[in-house]
Amino acid sequence: MLRLVLKQTLAHRGRLLLTFAAITLGVTFVVGTLVLTDTSREVFDDQFCDASTEVDIVIRDAVAFDAAMGIEVERDPLNSRLAAHTATLPGVSRAIPVVKGTGLLIADGEAIVPAGPSMLTSWTGVDGFTLRDGHAPEQLDEVVIDAATATAHDITLGDTVRVQADSEADLRVVGLVGFGDADGLPDTTVALTSLATAQRLLRLGDGISQISVIAADGTATSEVADRLRAELGTDVDVAASQDTAAASAAAAKSQLGFITGALLALAGAALVIGAFLIANTFSVLVTQRTRELAVMRAAGATGRQVMTSILGEAAVLGIAGAVAGTGAGLVAATGLRALLDAAGATVPDGPTVLSARTLVVALAVGVVVTLIAAFGAARRAARVSPVMAMREGALGTAGGRGRIRAGVGLTLTAAGVAALSVGGATESMPALGAGTAALVAGLVALAPVVAPAVVHLIGRGLSAVTGRSVPAGLAREAARRAPRRTGATVMALALSLALVVFVSVVGASVRAALQSGFDEAITAELVVESARGEMLGGLEPATREKIEELDEVGTVSPLRFGHWKDSGATRALTALDPATIDDVTHVDMVEGSLTDLSDGRDGVVITERQAVERGRDVGDRLAMTFARTGTVQVPVVGLIDDDDAKALSTDYLVSLASYRDWFTERVDATLLVRPSSGTTLDQAQTALEDALEGMPTVEVRDQASAAEARTASLDGILTLITAVLMLTVLIAMLGITNTLALSIIERTRELGLLRAVGMTRRQLRTMIRTESLLIAVAGLLVGTTVGVATSALFVRAIAQGGDLHLQIPTTGLALVAAAALVVGIVGGLAPARRAARLEVLTAIHEQ
Amino acid sequence: MTNLLNTTPGIADTRPAAASTKTVAVRARGLVKTYGSGPAAVKALDGADLVIHTGTFTAIMGPSGSGKSTLMHALAGLDVLDAGQVHIGDTDVTGLGERQRTLLRRDRFGFVFQSFNLLPALTAQENITLPLDLAGRRADPDWLARLVDTLGLRDRLGHRPSELSGGQQQRVAVARALVTRPEIVFADEPTGNLDTRHGQVLLSFLRDACDDLGQTIVMVTHDPLAAAHADRVVLLTDGRVIEEITDPTASAIADRMLQLDTDQHPNPHPRAGSGFGSGSGSIQEG
Ligand SMILES: Nc1ncnc2c1ncn2[C@@H]1O[C@H](COP(=O)(O)OP(=O)(O)OP(=O)(O)O)[C@@H](O)[C@H]1O
Ligand SMILES: [Mg+2]
Repeated sequence: MLRLVLKQTLAHRGRLLLTFAAITLGVTFVVGTLVLTDTSREVFDDQFCDASTEVDIVIRDAVAFDAAMGIEVERDPLNSRLAAHTATLPGVSRAIPVVKGTGLLIADGEAIVPAGPSMLTSWTGVDGFTLRDGHAPEQLDEVVIDAATATAHDITLGDTVRVQADSEADLRVVGLVGFGDADGLPDTTVALTSLATAQRLLRLGDGISQISVIAADGTATSEVADRLRAELGTDVDVAASQDTAAASAAAAKSQLGFITGALLALAGAALVIGAFLIANTFSVLVTQRTRELAVMRAAGATGRQVMTSILGEAAVLGIAGAVAGTGAGLVAATGLRALLDAAGATVPDGPTVLSARTLVVALAVGVVVTLIAAFGAARRAARVSPVMAMREGALGTAGGRGRIRAGVGLTLTAAGVAALSVGGATESMPALGAGTAALVAGLVALAPVVAPAVVHLIGRGLSAVTGRSVPAGLAREAARRAPRRTGATVMALALSLALVVFVSVVGASVRAALQSGFDEAITAELVVESARGEMLGGLEPATREKIEELDEVGTVSPLRFGHWKDSGATRALTALDPATIDDVTHVDMVEGSLTDLSDGRDGVVITERQAVERGRDVGDRLAMTFARTGTVQVPVVGLIDDDDAKALSTDYLVSLASYRDWFTERVDATLLVRPSSGTTLDQAQTALEDALEGMPTVEVRDQASAAEARTASLDGILTLITAVLMLTVLIAMLGITNTLALSIIERTRELGLLRAVGMTRRQLRTMIRTESLLIAVAGLLVGTTVGVATSALFVRAIAQGGDLHLQIPTTGLALVAAAALVVGIVGGLAPARRAARLEVLTAIHEQ
Repeated sequence: MTNLLNTTPGIADTRPAAASTKTVAVRARGLVKTYGSGPAAVKALDGADLVIHTGTFTAIMGPSGSGKSTLMHALAGLDVLDAGQVHIGDTDVTGLGERQRTLLRRDRFGFVFQSFNLLPALTAQENITLPLDLAGRRADPDWLARLVDTLGLRDRLGHRPSELSGGQQQRVAVARALVTRPEIVFADEPTGNLDTRHGQVLLSFLRDACDDLGQTIVMVTHDPLAAAHADRVVLLTDGRVIEEITDPTASAIADRMLQLDTDQHPNPHPRAGSGFGSGSGSIQEG
């Protein structure tokens, strides 16, 4: 049996080629995503574990929560005397004071800006870094950097580099370190200095970031930790270093989680669309082999054996696709990384990790998807009766089951539309999700009925425009004659295009909302921001100091971002300077004013929408939990217009003074700048750019480009998703090519006859290409309709009454239409050429 | 069905003197066609010569594998020859390119094959007018009506081939072959899949088309009864025309064929194929 199956698969390899390609592409995508994220996770794990191997316990300032949105919160410095004290406690072998922060490396006047962090840390000798060359930093003017950065930027021992943190200094490179086996940390520059130098650069005074404790030999870490906890009180956080490493890794990995999720969802879409192609192929193969199968049945094969043999072929194909896809996935991981990079989402790179789980998933995905897709055809094959060996005839137009199918399809579609409408009206995401799923399932079931009809209508329309032509008419008929095949092909394209439309519409709507009101609310002529788009912004305090010194500058008003916990949920807030904010913004307040934040007491201004939702009014209190302070009852002092709040990025506004109380972070996200009177915008901008020359990550933008930049990261992600979705469109195109190629084989005699009675090669090519185009246009129509409808309802739901309006991006849709046409034209090329090459006589004599 | 021709006004059952007009419709000289190469090469045509006059009904006969189909395909521009020349009227077919041969088939020839003559997607009517539609021309309504009525297809026009009997399908194919008023109709065993009665109806129709309209017809057949409808029988053996019988009768043909077969091939024919001479019952088992 197995030999028979293998032989059959090989015999049909030409016909299975595109199917194999579809499976491979889908698996490639899955494997690529898994390898990429596994690799990155491993990097994080290694990084944090290696850093903690020698250290047993870490003592840091206590915080209410460790991390928010994938970034670890900053902690207040500890007094360095605490380290000395800790060292004297029983069970402690060593207590090493550590300073950690951010310090940009500048070599030969060129700033080295890695994709990841610029680390600045005091030398401890126990944090995973090992000397490769030179010696540890001892003097105040010495620094050790990682070997990878040194190699990449031609830095050798004895060179001088500048380290720029809260203050900056020129330091001599006296050593190079590696990290574990690697030459450094991925996407990171490392600068290690003496404790005093790090304190000076980070302006910590006598403060330290943490104490790394090594327990005395023969003592249990947990015992020592307990003792330290009892001794040092609750102001500090005593944790096993393994736990802090795990927590750090978890925080870093949680950011990867979004990316993995998104990529896997896209991979799933690619697989579903590939499944249509697979289903089509097997359906055609079974039809073509009806005779053969009937002969097998007549010779005594049971229906079950026939079914098993077809499914066996599917399994062989699935395994082959999975194996090829796994290989390709290793390569694809690199491509995905580059794509993510281009989209501004950097994931760390390390030695490629191909886990057993990935292999199992790849195999399972390849085989299961193929088996499911081939199941319908296999069942149909099992129903082939021996009589069919004698009969020339139509197979696969099962009337009764067709009606059941249509019924199920209609019900599901109706349920989907209903759920979508309800979801849209009640702004309920679950209802929308369920509705979309039901709608898609319904359409898939209806496809054999709907798609050929749509194709036919479009064909009619086309004929009305171009005049009656036999090739076009025959193309229309061919599409109608194989309803399942046409249906599946159209739906595959429709689904992939619907996804593109969906992303494009939702993206355009969110984009418009992000930009809307910015130019009205922000009156500052110039906006200074970090080009790297860090989540909390990335302007070191030095930036503001430099700008404030300039004569050309009248007002500088900073905005800072922070995370807080709202009974478990993470929220963002914006801190502003009440004294200057009115100079650089113009916002509508529903109640109170932004200056109400100023009079020395803490308060928060919230949006009108939040006020309504929470049932809070001015004078009420809001419980806000900050990492540094724990929960604070903050009085609401004003209500701001929802749209204007958007220009300031969050729904919660606090004063900078309060921010300093509640947060350890000191970076500005945005500096809103107004030139001094008598200075032109150009003069001011030039002055700013000159002053900030040594800070390559800082960007000076005028108001318009600042508005644009607000959507930069969104744009990057949208481009990424669309680029990846194009892969599904590509698979759908393979589907068209595949369907047509198979149908040509099936129709060889017909084509021969047509040629015999006088159809020219050109007419034959036109016929095949028209069929391809009809399918593509049908896919475009169905896809756009589904995409626009679902995205419109989704936009309404995520708007939640806020000011998110549906934007139908005309260029986006035009691109989708263009893509569909390209798919239609390109998809038909090869089959058309192949059909035209058929020799008339051989075609006629084909059995 | 049997009284089809009697009730039809257009074509009367009168037989004018065969080949009264002596214009040449097809002139073939020294046709050679070899399949394969080396020791496995098969000479399907080996210097075949043939002249067919306008308005005649010619039957091509010969043992299985003698090159009948190949000859017909060569005449009809379906196949390319290794040597020799075919003239259709004044046109040298052998010199034509692929596209011109296609247009020749579409505009000047009609075809009837043994089976699979019709496109399953098209109705009978659409199948009939297919060559015209491909050319972007309209059918002459009178002519179309006459064909349809004569062939008894009036109430079958809206049906698809799968809804037609084998005889009906072949009649649709004949209507298609004639709808363009072609110079020549080529038929390769048009009655091979039909029972005797339906075969006879079809052949009578072809005979009438020849008589009344001066339609030139070339038909390949194994059946002496069928060949008897022709004005002339051309006998083919080993890719060469070896004999012609004018105004043949079925028994004369059958006798000649039987003789030929035993002369030329005393041993059973080595090639698989439909045994020829169903009328004479000379199918040989090997
Ligand atoms: N495409 C081909 N390739 C190789 N040999 C071929 C091909 N077509 C025909 N032949 C050979 O050429 C010879 C003539 O074939 P042809 O089909 O003309 O015979 P025929 O007289 O029509 O026979 P039949 O009565 O069986 O239809 C045969 O020996 C056949 O095997
Ligand atoms: Mg033949």
